[in-house]
Amino acid sequence: MPPSAPLSVVHLSKRYRQRSGDDFEAVSDVSLEVAAGECFGLLGPNGSGKTTTIKCISGFYPPSRGEVFLAGYNVHREPKLARQFLGLCDQDETLDSDFNVFDQLVRHASYFRIPSSVAKERAQTLLDQFGLSEKAREPIESLSGGLKRRLQVARALISDPRVLVLDEPTTGLDPDARRMVWEVLAQARSRGVAILLSTHYMEEAQRLCDRAAILYKGRILDVASPAQLIAKYIARDTVEEEVRPGVFWSRPPNLEDVYLKLTGSRLGVDGL
Amino acid sequence: MKLADSAWGVWSVWRRYFSVFVKSAVYYLVTTFVEPLLYLLAFGVGVGSLIGTLYVGGARLSYRSFIFSGIIAQTALFQGFYEGSYGSFVRMYYQRIFQSIAITPITLSEVLWGELIWDASKATLAAEVVALIGVFTRDFPPLSLLTLLPVCFASSLLFSAMGLASAAYSRSIDELGYPQYLLVFPMFLFCGVFYPVENLPRALQAVAWIFPLTSVNSLVRTLTLGLPFHGWAVVILLAWLLGLVVVSRRAMTRRLVK
Repeated sequence: MPPSAPLSVVHLSKRYRQRSGDDFEAVSDVSLEVAAGECFGLLGPNGSGKTTTIKCISGFYPPSRGEVFLAGYNVHREPKLARQFLGLCDQDETLDSDFNVFDQLVRHASYFRIPSSVAKERAQTLLDQFGLSEKAREPIESLSGGLKRRLQVARALISDPRVLVLDEPTTGLDPDARRMVWEVLAQARSRGVAILLSTHYMEEAQRLCDRAAILYKGRILDVASPAQLIAKYIARDTVEEEVRPGVFWSRPPNLEDVYLKLTGSRLGVDGL
Repeated sequence: MKLADSAWGVWSVWRRYFSVFVKSAVYYLVTTFVEPLLYLLAFGVGVGSLIGTLYVGGARLSYRSFIFSGIIAQTALFQGFYEGSYGSFVRMYYQRIFQSIAITPITLSEVLWGELIWDASKATLAAEVVALIGVFTRDFPPLSLLTLLPVCFASSLLFSAMGLASAAYSRSIDELGYPQYLLVFPMFLFCGVFYPVENLPRALQAVAWIFPLTSVNSLVRTLTLGLPFHGWAVVILLAWLLGLVVVSRRAMTRRLVK
């Protein structure tokens, strides 16, 4: 029986050979499910296996063990069917610089067999939502880094996916643009889209995610709602932090405290 | 059903390349015509007036006709190799186009078929333009445009795959100079484009026949100039074609997928 959740990762492990010739297990026995309308955070330091997990979810990397299901289809066995339901924004910039902003979206839709009249309508709506309408006819290289990032998130939505996977979507965005992305994600979620979000911004994760997994050295250390994680690991009401020599801030504990406590190389703030 | 789905995937990728091509069609057409015309002028008229008539395989022909049929094979080689090597390196490494398409309902395998078939289509078009010019100058019979098609396409595919394999094995774009100087240029100079390989010493002749351009030249000259047909040329060409298509696809997949 395939799982009923839009996105389901079952005992996923990914091992590969490094340049040095040693085997390296980047992802170890990761399982997670994202329900319709849920936003699930994948949090972890650089090199913790977030991107490898996402590459296995998209079916680009074959898993060493375990399975990934998109809308019930095994992405490794039936990639063409499974990925019909997937919208993905890579961590790397992968915009097709041979097409302008508008054509970029329409071209990407064609890979999903979306008729071009439908694609053009959706492209216009997305460009409006992401504040890119004025740039519609511009070539990609004329866009700033932040605009490219926004366009790439928009492109992930062009196929009207049931599962949206975003690998650090807001890196390099200014506060205004970041809120623009948040708003679009909130809308997608209210349409029932299942969202998997990898991010380094704990404030963003705390704000957006219903549940979050802390990934460390390829393993999930814990999964729960941000509030539960904070209650579990930081059992106090306020945290005191020396932000500059002699200047102390007192604030409620947050997800970043949990993150630093579980994955940091040093003691977290306030000796946690 | 599965096959039709995959064919659709390959077609979508081909269409992407084609629409980029169409946007710069004027540029491509001008350069496609200019390059062979320059060769025709330099070698056909310039060098050709020094050499005049040639006896090859028992036939008597003008050096202009000889060199011009050689340019057909050379065009398939250069166009196929450059599009497959530099072109695909840029698409894979800098633009990351393979990676962005192979996460949609189109698979990496289909992306790589689309890449190869497109590169070969473009090189075939260029080689046929050379043949067309040769038909206009009455060096080749008009029907050869048609009979050349399978040979041009097969050899373009072969050289595109040579390029794609080179791109897959090159760590940086500069390293593409290795196959270019160690494989492409020697073939260009020693595989019968400028002179019949029969003019080479016996040992070198055998070496020349190992490399696929000699077979391409032989087949093209059979079709355009009526020179004797050598069955082994077909065998050598198909063996290289098959080998390089398999190797290039496998190498590129291994490079991208962990």
